[in-house]
Amino acid sequence: MPRESVLNTFRVAVLLCLVCSVVVSSLAVGLRDTQQTQKETFRQQNILAAAGLWDPDSGTAQEARDLYERSITPVVVDLETGRVDPDIPPDDPRTDPRVAARDSRLHTPVTELGEGVRDIARIRRREHYSTIYEVREDGRLKTVILPIRGYGLWSTLWGFIALDVSRPEAGPEGITVRGLSFYAHGETPGLGGEVENPLWKAKWPGKRVYDADWNVLIEVSKSAASDHQVDALSGATITSNGVTSMLRFWLGEYGFGPYLRSLLESAANSTLRTAGIQVSAVP
Amino acid sequence: MTEKTAKQVLFDPLLNNNPIALQILGLCSALAVTVKLETSLVMALAVTAVTGCSGAVIGAIHRWIPGSIRIIVQMTVIASLVIAVDQLLQAYAFTISQKLSVFVGLIITNCIVMGRAEAFAMKNGPWMSFLDGIGNGLGYSMILIIVGTVRELFGSGKLLNITVMKPVTDGGWYPTNGLLLISPSAFVLIGLIIWVIRTIRPEQVGKS
Repeated sequence: MPRESVLNTFRVAVLLCLVCSVVVSSLAVGLRDTQQTQKETFRQQNILAAAGLWDPDSGTAQEARDLYERSITPVVVDLETGRVDPDIPPDDPRTDPRVAARDSRLHTPVTELGEGVRDIARIRRREHYSTIYEVREDGRLKTVILPIRGYGLWSTLWGFIALDVSRPEAGPEGITVRGLSFYAHGETPGLGGEVENPLWKAKWPGKRVYDADWNVLIEVSKSAASDHQVDALSGATITSNGVTSMLRFWLGEYGFGPYLRSLLESAANSTLRTAGIQVSAVP
Repeated sequence: MTEKTAKQVLFDPLLNNNPIALQILGLCSALAVTVKLETSLVMALAVTAVTGCSGAVIGAIHRWIPGSIRIIVQMTVIASLVIAVDQLLQAYAFTISQKLSVFVGLIITNCIVMGRAEAFAMKNGPWMSFLDGIGNGLGYSMILIIVGTVRELFGSGKLLNITVMKPVTDGGWYPTNGLLLISPSAFVLIGLIIWVIRTIRPEQVGKS
């Protein structure tokens, strides 16, 4: 058959497509499990790093796996009500923001969440369900690790913030940061990319998040003076502002604010109950 | 044109016919991934693997490829190989594949790969085409490694993430050069490399 004939052209095209698709798909299928494990390990390590339980520079992967098994409990929060929804398993695809963003039943555009809400974190859509991670010690809730994301200069930064909620009696002012970590971003290495710098991350633990009226005060600031402020990254003003905006959004009224509020309320109620004081039932 | 020996095919692209420095191909990824030596090395390895394998495959089947669809056939072969590399990186070098992000996928559009497939592999057998691909990959790698070393060492005071010169920001003495951390600095470095190569090999200087 001559090389340039129409028939040969088709034959070569079909054969090539068949061979290439078999190669590509068998690789994709064959490697899927390893890739999933890798992704999961990476996510777990970030959750642990955010809570300050594991150090990515010195800890081993095995330690991270054991620690995660032992101390982290994922639960699903309904962001509309702020309540934990025990009926939804933590690995449910509905809690994946990327999946939720494609289905109008699973997200609300940020600007439609309420009257005059601005999309400060520039995430456009907010999912209804979010998987968060609890750390308990002796049955008491110590730390919650919340997923956050928002736009910096070039990219959306994806990360976790760990909050110390072990002192519910102190009210919103008692909530402090345990740690922060970003696991995916496309900021300039050396400038905005310094959000990964351990020295910068070390400035976060102990910072307070709210005032007494649940206003989010925590921010990245050029001259950090109060215990609500963290030093900005030099040469990365827009990334720093992005971090502030995403914290304002995710810890605020349309993010995890209602959840943290209900967390503190139920903790306060259970303390009252153990003290023998009757609490009127909330319908 | 005289027939080249295997050795020439493999080593010519390093200095005499460097894909970046002489052919000025594949600059985009050379700017984007060279901020750290580690990513430069992985990218260099990935591109070398793809150019080598695509050369071998196209060299083996070039006799049967009809001229009317030859470009799309080359693209399909290269794309499949790039997907394979991307999948392997995601499975066995996850953190690095995160850092390289889209650039692994963009090897498909790296002019070196297509350029060598069209210019060499379509006219030569699989073995020579494989060597040509590896050679050009190595030429690309050489530039990437030089640029990556300079940018990481002087931009962040580190090499392969190990602190060599402790930067001021970490409480050390070395004031890091911020310019080297942004992509345009790679232009300057590649320009300097081209200057050096053309000083050693004056015959590469273009006639104006």
